[in-house]
Amino acid sequence: MILKLALNGLKKKQRDYAILFTGLIISIAVFYMFLTLSLNKEFILQNSVINNIQLVFLVGTVMLSVITFFYLFYTNSFLLSLRKKEYGLYELIGAKKIQIRRVFQIETMAITGISLIIGLILGIILSRVVSWLLMNQLNIEFTQFKAVYLPAVFWTMIYFLVTSFITSSIHNLWLTKISIIELLRSEVQNDLLPEKPKNAALMIFLGLFLLAIGYVALYFMEILRFIGLFTAPIATTLGTYVLFVALLPIIVRKWKRNKRVNFKGINSFTSGQLNFRLSSLKWVLATIALLIALSAGAIAGGFAFKNDAFTSIDEHWQYDATLYNPGAAEMAVLDSIPVEEQLTFRMKLNDEFIYLVQEELNASPPLIRDMVTYEVVRPDPLPEKLDIEDGNQIVSDQWFTALYAINPALEGTRSTRIVPLEEYELAEGEEISILLARTSDFSAHIEEWQKLDELQLNVYPDLVSGFDPEIDSVATKYAQFKTQYAIASGTFFMGFFLGLAFLTMMASILMFKILSGANNDIRRYDSLRKLGVRRRLLENSIYREILIVFLFPGLLGLLHVFIGMRMFTFIMDEPYYRLWVSILIFLAIYSGYYFFTVYLYRKIVLPKH
Amino acid sequence: MKTILKAKNVTKTYGKKGTAAYTAISDLSFSMNEGEFIGIMGPSGSGKTTLLNMVATLDPLTDGEITIDGISVSSMNENQLSDFRSQKLGFIFQDFNLLENMTVFENIALPLALQNKKLDKIQASVHQVASLLGISDITEKYPAELSGGQKQRTAIARALIHEPTLLLADEPTGALDSKNAATLLDTLADLNKERKVSILMVTHDPRSASYCSRLLFIKDGKLDHELFSAGTREEFHQEILAVLGDLDRRPVAGVRS
Repeated sequence: MILKLALNGLKKKQRDYAILFTGLIISIAVFYMFLTLSLNKEFILQNSVINNIQLVFLVGTVMLSVITFFYLFYTNSFLLSLRKKEYGLYELIGAKKIQIRRVFQIETMAITGISLIIGLILGIILSRVVSWLLMNQLNIEFTQFKAVYLPAVFWTMIYFLVTSFITSSIHNLWLTKISIIELLRSEVQNDLLPEKPKNAALMIFLGLFLLAIGYVALYFMEILRFIGLFTAPIATTLGTYVLFVALLPIIVRKWKRNKRVNFKGINSFTSGQLNFRLSSLKWVLATIALLIALSAGAIAGGFAFKNDAFTSIDEHWQYDATLYNPGAAEMAVLDSIPVEEQLTFRMKLNDEFIYLVQEELNASPPLIRDMVTYEVVRPDPLPEKLDIEDGNQIVSDQWFTALYAINPALEGTRSTRIVPLEEYELAEGEEISILLARTSDFSAHIEEWQKLDELQLNVYPDLVSGFDPEIDSVATKYAQFKTQYAIASGTFFMGFFLGLAFLTMMASILMFKILSGANNDIRRYDSLRKLGVRRRLLENSIYREILIVFLFPGLLGLLHVFIGMRMFTFIMDEPYYRLWVSILIFLAIYSGYYFFTVYLYRKIVLPKH
Repeated sequence: MKTILKAKNVTKTYGKKGTAAYTAISDLSFSMNEGEFIGIMGPSGSGKTTLLNMVATLDPLTDGEITIDGISVSSMNENQLSDFRSQKLGFIFQDFNLLENMTVFENIALPLALQNKKLDKIQASVHQVASLLGISDITEKYPAELSGGQKQRTAIARALIHEPTLLLADEPTGALDSKNAATLLDTLADLNKERKVSILMVTHDPRSASYCSRLLFIKDGKLDHELFSAGTREEFHQEILAVLGDLDRRPVAGVRS
């Protein structure tokens, strides 16, 4: 009987249940997606440039769990609000409290169970699609990553079942205390009147002050170091909360005070709705602003890391290719790309020495990065006579760097002798030519560099005794880039996953909070319709109202990201690189949610045509 | 005397095609002159609210025609109907239908704001109608802070501010105690007498009905009886009770020719 009641409850109010299920399924899918990554230790450790990446994921998991807990609490109280009146009726006709509590618990668990099945399937599909897209984009195969990951399935199920049990138990406690009459009347509840903000000016000042401190700490993180690392998150978080709590009601109040605007068309209704909504949602909105910042930051950070693989390689390597004894094949590849500068040097190699021609070096000194000034320069001409100390020729620091740039494979393996041409001609040893080539954009010709590296593998065994192409490698710009890029891609992949999960979760919470209050609004829109407000106007009002609710956390969240990204300057060169891409992703997801919310909200509050 | 409302052979049937249709109003005709205070009475399920909703243009007719102020409402599209309601009609509902997220002032001002009237005009009108109804000192409050009587007076103010051709009231005293109900009906009667506001009110309460100048009794979707107020309100009240008693005694609906 009780089971029948419970299932009957599900059948009615399909639309509201659709919202409830959508909310749950999204959160399950996101939670699962996140766990496929965070539980996969092998993958995390092998693909990260960050030492404490596991800590990052641990913190991420805890945060997501906490957020999801509150989210499930909201969804559960939404379920309760749907059922209150009916429970009151059951009680009125003699059902015992314990029976009603059991009905509620069964309903909650049934809904969670169904959502888990669909949510996990969706989560698997999403993980597969996202990882496939990313791997294609990055041209990298992450074999350790698994879209169907059993530990993640297991823990997602455990988490959601246990949390559902806890939230429904909390609500059951509430059900035992409440009287029948309150249950029956629950549908005609009024929203709480928004309080008049106290000390608003002081609060806003405090909020701005805290935000300013947080921003300064973020901006000067390089200098402040540990102080900044602690101050920034605390001050920014506090500032965001204080500002939202104080500022949002004030903004609507100011708005309403502009009577010419307020008493135009349906504006007074829209601002009235906002007045109530913003003051009841201010805590949620502040939380969302912060998490938007974190998730957009994670995506942007991933992009920046990936870019860093390109920019940092250019710092250490001024020449894109260093070719030993280049043959026709190598020259053909070089001819196919726009080479900006090409230098050729000769060297003679015997067991003891590497001979280089002084005139050649002086005629075309290669570009290097000066280790002191950190600028890209060409070394000054070599002096006529170079002293020899302890069997080594003494050259300037700049030339020391230059010699490694010219001869990365062999420099240091034996003593280098820079000699005049005549002396060079007399010297004994095998002659080798070295070609340095530079283009304006290393990243534009990755395939060619790879090809050149492969061709050179045939040359190395002649140069380096005992070189085995299968095992050994020679330091080249491309080889180093490849290693860096693989790690950076892994970091990018993780940042993207992490950010996407949080972003989806955030927007979904906002959507759910708005929709769960929509039932109370049906009456209002019905009244307006009766009073003769055109449907178009009502729709406009809905679009504007929800837009503003979405706008505030979005704006502040983005501002946090803009400032916060600077913090990464101490580990990478261009933290703002392609920030717009992550902002675009954020905007796409966020505006998708906005339109979806408006669509569902309209379906709830406006009658069919 | 100008005719402001004319209902001709109005019929309303509910039910989808293929299912048993239920006739709520059948072939009903009446007309209303400017300045009249008409009450519609009848037992539950007799179709009074259906009739009011059709006059209010909230519910389309199945057959027949309703003309308000010379305009036929059945030919209008959704937007025209909305505009018509906002300009020609004023509404008072049993549950007030105030917008809880707006102050009393904003609630009253809404019909004028919707017509994009100038702010000065809106403010002047709101003050005028609020003082007429004795709610000038609560205009900055929200509906949740008001008593039932205050809410209903706010609703009346909102229904009157744009000077509608016709004021429609659906059980306006339904949620009020007898003292507040009496005050409200006095207000409506005053508005009708002194400001010549035309009122069409649905009620099942004989006491409320006695404030009207004419009563239409509906039974089973048809006009069953018509009653004019001639003497004092108390006499009218007694007459109404007599008619109601008579209606109850006849088990099958009487048909008027």
